[in-house]
Amino acid sequence: MEAVQAAVSGALQGSLFALMALGLSLTWGFLRVINLAHFGVILLGAYLTIELAGPTGLGPLGSLVVTVPALFVVGAVVHLLFDRFRVSELNSLLISYGFLIVIIQVVQNVWTADFQRLPGDVNPYATQSVRVGDLIFPLPTVMAALFATVLVMAMKFFLDRTYAGRALQAFGQDREIASAFGIDHRTLGLLLAGASGATAAMAGMLFTLRGTVTPDSALEWVGLVFAIVILGGIGNVSGTLWAGLLVGAVSGLVAIIWSPATSPLVVFTLVVLALLFRPQGLFRRKAAH
Amino acid sequence: MSGASRHDRGWILILLLLAAVLVLPTVREALGSDVFPGFYLVLLFQILFWTAQATSWNLLSGFGGYFSFGQGAFYGVGAYAMAVVTGRQDGSWLVAILVGGVLAMVLALVVGTIAFRLRSLRGEIFALLTLALPFILLAVARLSDAIDGGQGVIVPVPEFPSFFDTFQDFVFVVGGLVAVLAVAVSYWMSRTRYGWALFAIHDDEDVAEAIGVPTFAHKMYAIALTGLLAGLAGAVNAMQVGFVTPEGTFNLRVPVMVIVMSVLGGRRHWAGPMVGAAYVTILQNRLQGGTLEGWSLIILGLVLAALVLLAPDGLMARFKRRRWLVAGIVVAVPVILDVTGLADDRVWAFAAGLGVAAIVGFLPVRKVAAVVRSVETAGSPVDESVAPIAEGRVVAETVEVRKHFGGLKAVDGVSVRVHEGEILGLVGPNGSGKTTLVNLVSGLLPVSDGTIRVNGTQTSGLRPHKIAHLGVARTYQIPRPFPSLTVRDNVAIAIMFGREPKSLSAAREEADEFLALVGLSHRAESLPGGINLHERQLLEMARAMATRPKLLLLDEALAGLNPVEIDNAVEVVRRIHRSGVSIVLVEHLLRVVNQLATRIVVLDQGHVLAAGAPSAVMTDPKVVGAYLGRRPDAAGL
Repeated sequence: MEAVQAAVSGALQGSLFALMALGLSLTWGFLRVINLAHFGVILLGAYLTIELAGPTGLGPLGSLVVTVPALFVVGAVVHLLFDRFRVSELNSLLISYGFLIVIIQVVQNVWTADFQRLPGDVNPYATQSVRVGDLIFPLPTVMAALFATVLVMAMKFFLDRTYAGRALQAFGQDREIASAFGIDHRTLGLLLAGASGATAAMAGMLFTLRGTVTPDSALEWVGLVFAIVILGGIGNVSGTLWAGLLVGAVSGLVAIIWSPATSPLVVFTLVVLALLFRPQGLFRRKAAH
Repeated sequence: MSGASRHDRGWILILLLLAAVLVLPTVREALGSDVFPGFYLVLLFQILFWTAQATSWNLLSGFGGYFSFGQGAFYGVGAYAMAVVTGRQDGSWLVAILVGGVLAMVLALVVGTIAFRLRSLRGEIFALLTLALPFILLAVARLSDAIDGGQGVIVPVPEFPSFFDTFQDFVFVVGGLVAVLAVAVSYWMSRTRYGWALFAIHDDEDVAEAIGVPTFAHKMYAIALTGLLAGLAGAVNAMQVGFVTPEGTFNLRVPVMVIVMSVLGGRRHWAGPMVGAAYVTILQNRLQGGTLEGWSLIILGLVLAALVLLAPDGLMARFKRRRWLVAGIVVAVPVILDVTGLADDRVWAFAAGLGVAAIVGFLPVRKVAAVVRSVETAGSPVDESVAPIAEGRVVAETVEVRKHFGGLKAVDGVSVRVHEGEILGLVGPNGSGKTTLVNLVSGLLPVSDGTIRVNGTQTSGLRPHKIAHLGVARTYQIPRPFPSLTVRDNVAIAIMFGREPKSLSAAREEADEFLALVGLSHRAESLPGGINLHERQLLEMARAMATRPKLLLLDEALAGLNPVEIDNAVEVVRRIHRSGVSIVLVEHLLRVVNQLATRIVVLDQGHVLAAGAPSAVMTDPKVVGAYLGRRPDAAGL
């Protein structure tokens, strides 16, 4: 029972990292941009939530009204730059690395390097939990799982069922051909990069519900989130969610079987193995043709 | 400007650097602490430490193009070797440094063995793989009480030789020696095949293999040296700092620094990372304390982004054209500021010198018209007077070769022989498997089934560079020259990695002869981006010939040319053939095939449809049908 509790709790926590990975995976898969600045945008989402939730009386969920559009714009503006200079995949990694450092330092200058958290009175979720039979789950992780599931399903529907989504898939596979068929990649790319920024706003908000955040949190996310992106398959939205749940469950199990400090060792060893044997991701079926 | 004088100049600079490192403690003492305060020594130590780190990173990631975020792991292994050996085991500092270097090299070799075995490994995936490395080591260091256990480890001040006055003098010299070693390795590589192999890998790894570069081995050499030098420098740095923690060691700070430094200084030049290290370290030093405290990383991040976008070649590429002017500014500006008393602090004066040099570096350069070296067309390395050898011995053959991509049978049981002295025309409609067959013979793709023999040696399982050394060369339908090498160096690199290895200078001389063979001598100094399609295709042929092949695979080498260019290319192919090379000519233009081919093989849907003399094959109803898309029996309707 203890193992089940650990695995499911871990999986729920993993869903938050899947939500962080979602935006990264989308822009990498469809726009051919590896955007490390995404972690900075998530960090902004977290700090803006803390800044807005109390004084404005919006609460953490209400503050999304401000953060989602604001970070949508940030995501789109960063992509505008990549698009304008026709940045290659590897260079996008370097440039966004520069942006990530800048955002972390700006956050530190504005909010200090100390731990920040939501005041208890605006974060009633932190102390609540959901009980299923003998299992108990903290409410913030359940909310993260809900957000992640809904967003992944919405994104999957958008990509598979709408014209714009299919156009993006075509563009991800072959830019030039897709452009030749009249796909307006600029607008679509900006929208997707903006949507990725919007998911960062939600991920940042959900992160603050669970506890403290520091400017360096952004760097702590990098390893785990990239692990999920790669395990899930780059650009594969439902794969990203499954990978997040899997990584979380494995971390949770390892933490109770051995020790919490062992779990990164196991997770990253798994990532290395996955990269070696299934570089296309764990959940991608072989292409039909 | 001959190659030899440049060669010496680099070594002279490195020897001067070595001398400066060795005498500095004595000079410092002679000057006294008023003129040379102690913190200068610490600042110089930091510059040298980062020079070693950035230069080490640059070997694999700058020269070879495989970006690594794992520098912190190699650095950290060195740092922890110092902490554990001297702090916990009472070992000597020298043993600790060597252990650090060797362990980091072993780690690098393990990473390389895993990562570079993958044929499909892309640069981005390698970058992310190395991103995981510091996190794994962080967990190990926290968990293991023998290494750290989570509390950090104190590195005691070691017993250093008594001819050093202070510990800072000692650690400066040791750190300086590691930095000089790193720069010397980088310079040596940039002048030899070890660096040039990496340049080729950086530009186009498949082509590098095809012209004979053992890419796996050279990536392993590079990553091993990266690990070794990073480990050595990490160990010395831990000794200087006196304390290590897991979080302070295995993080993303070291990779940030080395990447910014190398990109700023220039990744292609041996001294680029050193120049970048000087700039960034001094910038960081000046931003510390004071009102700009929180700005240092913001500036570094913006500098990195701006450089990648606007000046990806870095400062060294800019300085090269006016190195004396730049050197003069770096010396003169600080001296003037110091003598006139305009700067109250010498580090500021020096920083100002670097700043002015950077601004000068980024001023636009007047384009000097490239001096066209006229090279006589005579003296071609291949004896054109020799008539083609009478067709005889089999140079290469495929036996029942198959290549399936999933359900698609691109090549399905093809048996073809190429005889010595023959020009075999390989024709067939689109998708008939011609290019796939070329890729199989050159080893770019492994066969699904069947046998390929070159000069009697079976080639399945051989890496493409081995097949190149057996005597197979190829060109690409869409030319793939190494974009960052000049036309001459594109050919020279193929000579360097031929069956008999040649030095860079020897290969450059020989390269001119192959350029003359295809009539490209006037373009020797151009970059491939600046020549037209026809010239790029001729360059492909020159580069292929430079491997001294017995069999040349020309994959639609005449596609997209105008009639005059085609006539010229046909003449070049004839010249190559007369020199005794057997040729497989994959071609759509039947006019060209008819002019050149001594025998024709027609492929259709992965099968051999017909083979024989050109006149007989081209009138074969099956062939006509395949080309016109009708069944043979319907052809008469």
